[in-house]
Amino acid sequence: MNLRILGCNFQTATVDLREKLAFNPEQQELALRELQSRYGCEAAILSTCNRVEMMIARGPDELPFDIGLASEFLGEMHHVPASAVLPLLYEHVNEFAVRHLARVTASLDSLIVGEGQIAGQVKQAFEFAQKLGTTGPLLNALFPHALRTAKRIRTETGISHGHVSVSSVAVDYVRQVFDHFQDKTVLVIGAGKMARLTLKHLEDLKPGRILVTNRSPQKAQEVASMCGGQPWPWEQLDVALSQADIALSTTGAPEPIMPAKRFHEKVLPHRGSGILVVLDIAVPRDFDPSIHDGDRVCVFNIDDLTRIREQTIAARQKHIYPAEQIVEQEAKRFQNDWDRRKSGPIIQQLRTQVDKVRVQVVGPLLGKLNGKLTPAEKEYIEGAFKLFQNKLLHTPIAALQEASKEGESRKLMEAIRKLFGLSE
Amino acid sequence: MTALLHDVTFTCFGLSYLLALLLELAAMRWPRPRLRILGLVFGTLGLLTHSLYLASKHPTPAKPYGALLSVAWVLAIFYLYGALHYTRRAWAIFVLPIVLGLVGLAFVVVRQSAPPSESELMFGMSGDHIWGAVHGVLLLLASVGVCVGFIASIMYLIQARRLRKKLNPLGGMRLLNLERLEQMNRQAVNLAFPLLTLGLLLGAVLLEQYHNLANQWFSPKVLGTFGLWLVFLVLLYLRYAVHVPARRLAWFTILAFSLMVLVLVAAHPFAQAEGRS
Repeated sequence: MNLRILGCNFQTATVDLREKLAFNPEQQELALRELQSRYGCEAAILSTCNRVEMMIARGPDELPFDIGLASEFLGEMHHVPASAVLPLLYEHVNEFAVRHLARVTASLDSLIVGEGQIAGQVKQAFEFAQKLGTTGPLLNALFPHALRTAKRIRTETGISHGHVSVSSVAVDYVRQVFDHFQDKTVLVIGAGKMARLTLKHLEDLKPGRILVTNRSPQKAQEVASMCGGQPWPWEQLDVALSQADIALSTTGAPEPIMPAKRFHEKVLPHRGSGILVVLDIAVPRDFDPSIHDGDRVCVFNIDDLTRIREQTIAARQKHIYPAEQIVEQEAKRFQNDWDRRKSGPIIQQLRTQVDKVRVQVVGPLLGKLNGKLTPAEKEYIEGAFKLFQNKLLHTPIAALQEASKEGESRKLMEAIRKLFGLSE
Repeated sequence: MTALLHDVTFTCFGLSYLLALLLELAAMRWPRPRLRILGLVFGTLGLLTHSLYLASKHPTPAKPYGALLSVAWVLAIFYLYGALHYTRRAWAIFVLPIVLGLVGLAFVVVRQSAPPSESELMFGMSGDHIWGAVHGVLLLLASVGVCVGFIASIMYLIQARRLRKKLNPLGGMRLLNLERLEQMNRQAVNLAFPLLTLGLLLGAVLLEQYHNLANQWFSPKVLGTFGLWLVFLVLLYLRYAVHVPARRLAWFTILAFSLMVLVLVAAHPFAQAEGRS
């Protein structure tokens, strides 16, 4: 195996440097074609906001594509001096490269461990290179292996459980309360940036009605037209709350807009038996937290959502060790499969060749002795020759398998070819 | 084949359900698809042997052990349906303990009572007692409704508690959302009430028909069933007239379930009459 993964990530390069080294699809295509034509290698490039990596595989006898070449190549592609690129790069070789790609795909090497996006990006990088024809036997085996390993880790550990964005956690809470949303009303109070982000998540649930209220009617109109909702007068906030199922509040008010007294007097008596979920992501808070009773009204404020986000990130940490063990197991399995694949054809050829010789010797012998031997004796002679053949081949096959594992099988394969007269 | 059917015992399906539950608990702790699949296999085996047991022994629902086993059987179907439908939810963990509890109770009841006579085994099967069988089926289905309502209520209370405490929405066991659970509880109660009412009315008529059962009006079974009907009536009133929050309704459903278990365990006047004759 002559495999290298070279690149930089959020740990080795700052965001502005990563931006300089990132590839857009056109640049990626050009780079892959260049790598293939210049170095005659298998190549794939993974370029995300957190990392830029090149996966390069060459023939076992060829010089490896080292970190020096990589820095020159990246520098040339992005018009950055190679000397500026070199200190940012890391290099993973052979079995370490196999492990590295599996770790990256399983999001063990990500800024937020367990995030699900990277596996898709790795898959895209592979498919892109495959489409261009810059992958070969090694990368075609390596990428599916990494994707399988990541899938196994996701299934067998809790590393990807939960959400780590405040908006997603808010929607998770909403989903714990409601089953369907076509008959639900979402009330948006205020028009902060956070509200728009969370509203986008809520819109995906396809609620029946969206009401938008704001101190400024223009802003309410603006947000309402963006999300297909209807503006609602600020003065009728209590009425809107008595009709809403989900309230998303992000005003910049210095005091709570909904104190407990007002809520219990003007909103709660007018509501039916349905539950109201309030997502209060304003700072300072818009809703008095004492309104939350977990039965008729559930209030989740920014502290609650951030706490869950942090809990999720912390909970993922305990799954890192089991995930690393899976990476280790799978990397070993890949290595063994690859070794077997490399020495497999020559072992098969060797067996066929010696089989042929045995048949050539045993056939005439049994012909000459025809009529003098019982069927049992014939079988015994044939068995003895087979045993002899197996014993004779055992040592070279075992040596070949051993050498393949150690990556030094080339000379031995050459010798076996010559000794047994095998074709190339 | 007949010998094989007669070899099926409480232990066969009881242990199968228990293993299915243990595997589900293990799958919750160590999320492995094969554990869940194995749990489903044992659950299916349990249901199969349970069905064979009912088919070979056909215990009368008028006897506590027959009623308990029949309700457990319908709930086992409910478990299997839910486990296949809500693959990512902690469904089995809530339904299987009820199935196991009912089977266990039936086991205790059958050990403490004399073995069923031929006349008991044939009870409800003959043409003379067709209305008795209808009465039994109505009350059996009503009981299943109460069990479903109970399971939904327990899940609802746990889910509501998690929301009240603002626990991680995706942490711990995965439950159905409050709206779905409330709907499940409502549908179960709405379905059980008319069945219970019809079953009760039919039972009253049948009691009158049996000239030797006039003194059974105040038996624990009859009084308990009537009490259960009253609880249901209050439950419906609270839901539709007073709009009581769902959490309190869940507690009421749990009360109805407890009463139902007592009613199921109590001896039935018809079966007693059959035993005497």
